[in-house]
Amino acid sequence: MLKVKKLTKTFQSGDGRVTALNEVSFNIDEGRFVSVIGKSGSGKTTLLSILGTLEKPTSGTITVDNRELTGLTAKEMVAYRCKQIGFVFQGYNLVPNLTALENVMLPMEFAGVPAKQRIMRAKELLDQVGLVGDKIQRKPGRLSGGEQQRIAIARALANQPKFILADEPTGNLDSETGKKIFDLLHDLSKSQNTTVIVVTHDLSIAGKTDQTFKLEDGKLL
Amino acid sequence: MNVVSRGIRNAFRNGVRSLSIIIILGLSLGLSLTMLIARQAVAQKISAVKSSIGTTITITPAGYSNFSSLNNSLTTTQLSKVASLPHVTNVNETLTDRLFTAGSSVPAFGGAANTTRGQTSLTSPVKVNLGNRGGRFGRRVFIDGGGSLPSNFTPPVTIVGTNDPQRLNSLTGAQATLTSGSYINGNQDNNQAMISSQMASKNNLKLGSTFTAYSATLTVKGIYETSNRALQGEVVVSLPTEQAISGQSSDVTNAVASVDSLDNLSSVTSAISKQLGSSADVTSSEQQANNAVQPLNSVKSIALFSLVGAVVAGSVIVLLIMVMIVRERRREIGVLKAIGSSNVRVMFQFMVEAVTFTVIGAIIGLGIGIAAGQPVTNMLVTNSANSSTTQNLAGGGVGRLYYAGTNTQTFKRPTGGFFGRGVGSVRNTLSDIKANVGWVILLYGLIAAIVIAVTGSAAASILIARIRPAEVMRVE
Repeated sequence: MLKVKKLTKTFQSGDGRVTALNEVSFNIDEGRFVSVIGKSGSGKTTLLSILGTLEKPTSGTITVDNRELTGLTAKEMVAYRCKQIGFVFQGYNLVPNLTALENVMLPMEFAGVPAKQRIMRAKELLDQVGLVGDKIQRKPGRLSGGEQQRIAIARALANQPKFILADEPTGNLDSETGKKIFDLLHDLSKSQNTTVIVVTHDLSIAGKTDQTFKLEDGKLL
Repeated sequence: MNVVSRGIRNAFRNGVRSLSIIIILGLSLGLSLTMLIARQAVAQKISAVKSSIGTTITITPAGYSNFSSLNNSLTTTQLSKVASLPHVTNVNETLTDRLFTAGSSVPAFGGAANTTRGQTSLTSPVKVNLGNRGGRFGRRVFIDGGGSLPSNFTPPVTIVGTNDPQRLNSLTGAQATLTSGSYINGNQDNNQAMISSQMASKNNLKLGSTFTAYSATLTVKGIYETSNRALQGEVVVSLPTEQAISGQSSDVTNAVASVDSLDNLSSVTSAISKQLGSSADVTSSEQQANNAVQPLNSVKSIALFSLVGAVVAGSVIVLLIMVMIVRERRREIGVLKAIGSSNVRVMFQFMVEAVTFTVIGAIIGLGIGIAAGQPVTNMLVTNSANSSTTQNLAGGGVGRLYYAGTNTQTFKRPTGGFFGRGVGSVRNTLSDIKANVGWVILLYGLIAAIVIAVTGSAAASILIARIRPAEVMRVE
């Protein structure tokens, strides 16, 4: 279970001190599909970054299965990200000179999974997200946006993480492909019992999730 | 796929840029390896010259130059005292003069005014090139006050009287081999001479033929072969013969003392200096070697500075390139960190990329080094030696040739010479340097490549460490 308590994040900007998150608190049960909605600048991405241990909050606590995340050292944060978190970005963020298969294998390499197992698992995941045949040997530049996002989802699932954090995963896709990607994330979260937190502008997507949080000016409504 | 193979593959992401980087690094490493090869070759030569220079001490009249010794020669009496000093095994004495061909016009040669101006029936086989400024006889001749050579001019013939024609005490220099006849006895006034085959041919002489020098008649007893042009124009007689026929009884213009071991060279040099006082200049072969290899030491320094400069330039090139690459792949680095890669792993990947560039550059550089090592070494040595020789030989006249034979019927032009202190003859061989590429060079090349890659990646690593994945998420 994910417990967020009084999470606050402020940073220095040219105009003074900005509060991106203001005492945000919520709980998410394991295996839930959650959406976070809000306008630009409401603090959605900041929340996702802190949940993904990409940055530390100014104050507040995040507890996962009774483990406090805000006190982790830099090394522990890397290890936690590697094994417990899967990221899906709006711009896919695949490594351009690696094939689809190699991109999916990357997190497993960082986690120390043996090479043979990496290949088997990566093929399995790509098959699950619907990328088959010679496409798995193609580089991202030779695949469509939808296909690239599928690879990104497969990469996020590689180390069987507890959480998948998706930042506008359908933002760069047409509505039909976006719906397919959403359905894919939804199905995988259920089949693999993974908690998925999706940041989105799309209210139609938000309406289909188990739980929705709305952020406004850094506050949870 | 692992971090190493990913780093190697990344090195070729942008073909044109990778090629440019590799070519630039290849040139940089090529220059450094070329300089390393040159430096090593020169160091080996210096070592060889020093180790072969021998244990001899050259004695000349104080301030002697340009055949001016007729008024301040050493004497056989003085040198007999030198011969009796402890650790002196032999003293080879010579008296040198120039003879002018009878009937030829004799201009006043620059820097060669004071000779006996004796005459000979011989005509020198040496061809003369007219020069406007200082030079050495046998190569260029200059005339006091300028002007042109008379139409009936022939070069003077150098006559050398020596007490030991068979002794080979030289270290390097022009080699000559007695091809017919026999050595003259250096201690007898016997009016016998040894001449070159060119001299014999030019004057239609053979063994037993006679010619005149001063007012005496000399008989050809031996004929030698040599490729040295100055040596071709000389006549070798015994010391007593030269002293008698030139009217310089007991005079000696040059002596070379041999010492029993290198350990005693310095003390014997001091003892001779003390014995002869201010009347003589005393120079050991060790000093001559140091003088001779001075230009090579300059080349060594130049090569070292160039080597360091090339490595630093290579490092700066890699540094700037890696900084540029890191800035370009800022987002990718952020993503790698976000999905679980550590800073060290990302740095290592970029270091592998830099090493890939430099290793390929090193292979190209090695090719350049192999191709350019010898020519560049020759060029550096020639330029340096020319500059130094010009200084030492400016105003020089006819070079004195000193002979030292052995029982193997081979003799050489010694380094412990009369003019230019014999340095010139050593210098002739200094340009004969072989630049070799061995394992040491290969190892240095590899080390240089790694040093360049590691130092060049340092700034990139700092940038990598500073990239925060959370920031990258915002750059959509």
